[in-house]
Amino acid sequence: MSLEAIAPVRPMRRAFGILAWRLVPIAPYLIVLLIWFVLWDVFRPSKETLPPVRDVVVAIRDLAVSGQLATNVIASLGRLVLGSLLGIITGVGAGFVVGLNRNVAEMLNPLAVFFNAISGIVWLPLMITWLGIGTALAVFLIWNTVFFIVFQNTVLGVQLVPEVLEQGVRALGAGRTETLRSVTLPGALPYILTGIRSGLGFGWRALIAAELVGAASGLGTMIFDAAEYHRSDIIMSGCLIIGTIAIIMDRWLLLPIERRTVQRWGLVSDAEARR
Amino acid sequence: MTMATAPRTPARPLPLPAALGVTAGHFSGVKILVPFAALVGVWWVIQALGQFPERVLVSPARVWNTLILLFSHGILAEYISTSMRMIGIAAVISLAIGVPVGFLVGSNRYAARGLESFLRFLQGVSGIAWLPLVIIWFGFTHTTTLVVVIYTLIVPIIFNTMTGVRAVPEHYSLALRSLGASRLRLITDVYLPGALPSIVVGLRLGMGYGWRALIAAEMLVRQGGLGDLIFGARTSGQIDRIIGGMILIGTLYIIVDRLLVQPLENVTIARWGVLRK
Repeated sequence: MSLEAIAPVRPMRRAFGILAWRLVPIAPYLIVLLIWFVLWDVFRPSKETLPPVRDVVVAIRDLAVSGQLATNVIASLGRLVLGSLLGIITGVGAGFVVGLNRNVAEMLNPLAVFFNAISGIVWLPLMITWLGIGTALAVFLIWNTVFFIVFQNTVLGVQLVPEVLEQGVRALGAGRTETLRSVTLPGALPYILTGIRSGLGFGWRALIAAELVGAASGLGTMIFDAAEYHRSDIIMSGCLIIGTIAIIMDRWLLLPIERRTVQRWGLVSDAEARR
Repeated sequence: MTMATAPRTPARPLPLPAALGVTAGHFSGVKILVPFAALVGVWWVIQALGQFPERVLVSPARVWNTLILLFSHGILAEYISTSMRMIGIAAVISLAIGVPVGFLVGSNRYAARGLESFLRFLQGVSGIAWLPLVIIWFGFTHTTTLVVVIYTLIVPIIFNTMTGVRAVPEHYSLALRSLGASRLRLITDVYLPGALPSIVVGLRLGMGYGWRALIAAEMLVRQGGLGDLIFGARTSGQIDRIIGGMILIGTLYIIVDRLLVQPLENVTIARWGVLRK
């Protein structure tokens, strides 16, 4: 415990401290915004180089009003959901098979390491040739990215379930499926969810990269098209929206799910669960 | 509020493919080669039976010959050295900027809390998404690629430096201070060694992200590098170059990660690891 905890603190100062603590995450955004304002006012760069803040706000509004934004966001999210679902299902399935069989694991490990090293965007040129430009391409790249992360986390999770627990349940007369269902799966679940969470983050980034060249719609396509007309206000808006979606997905959707599972089934230490 | 609210475990807060280092363990050469041999065998059989046109699939032998040919002409060395130089420069610059920034921010808990969500936001917008804008700024040059790679690489380094510094138990610095150590001594003797394992983990993560960003950026910037090699080959339908390039990309990444970064990580953790790995 630090000294602060012992020293008496005046209520006013304390309230202020709590308020500052709550608000401090907004500060970097405000600072960047301020720098952006000042930079623009001092240097007056051309709008193509750096759009003024107002232009970006207007661009976002225009995109939203014209329905373009919704179309692109839905296109991107649709691909993400489809690719991730495939990645999660195959990843968890393969992870269980490999995690439960030491021999298979040992044999496949080198392949997994190698294909993980080239997962995602590296497949782009080959897959453009095989699948053509379109949704199938983007879905493949997301599947490929998500699969390896979910797969590796599942393997880890399955292998880390203490054998004693499995043996215990077996000794009480449970069959193989019952053991899997009531011990291995819940035991591995926190790891699987961590895998899904980081997988979706990676998948989202891979998707945007894939859309830059390999799609006819979506947020990546939107910013790449805008570049041709030097519409940096649209590029900026696109990046802001991409980041916002990533944050919403991670913080408000996946993190809470992960936290709950870890609390419920986690074999993780308290310190980590509190994070 | 006490220090207890700060994350004590620097347990890799950024999305981490947990088992990237799936117990690299003791591979004997044969054990590694067998699955690859099987894979090449399957590829060969499919290619031989399928009667694919050359623009779709070629035989492993063809890919091998192409790689040898590219290598003997010195083209391959140039593509590889371009990529390696880029990732090397990016790593050095990211460390040079990221570690001090991480230290500054990490030494103040308000700053640390403030920057955390912002860094997550930056990480959500991949470097590649900024590429169109960076191209407008710097054109189709190496600078553009470098900016994108540094952007990707630096975030995990700042983040992990920050959490590494925050995770150093407070009594260490209190103890040293009560023995009369200066601020500088505190940094060199407590915080730097304490944060080092975490910094190296950050570097390793960053290299993983950065390498992928590099390949993607090279595909679009088209100024040499392995990304350029495989993406350029696509336009002319040279599948042998694409597959050969992919194999190289994977192999190089594994070499850099396993032979350079991971040993560094192990050494730092063994030497200074106050942290749980």
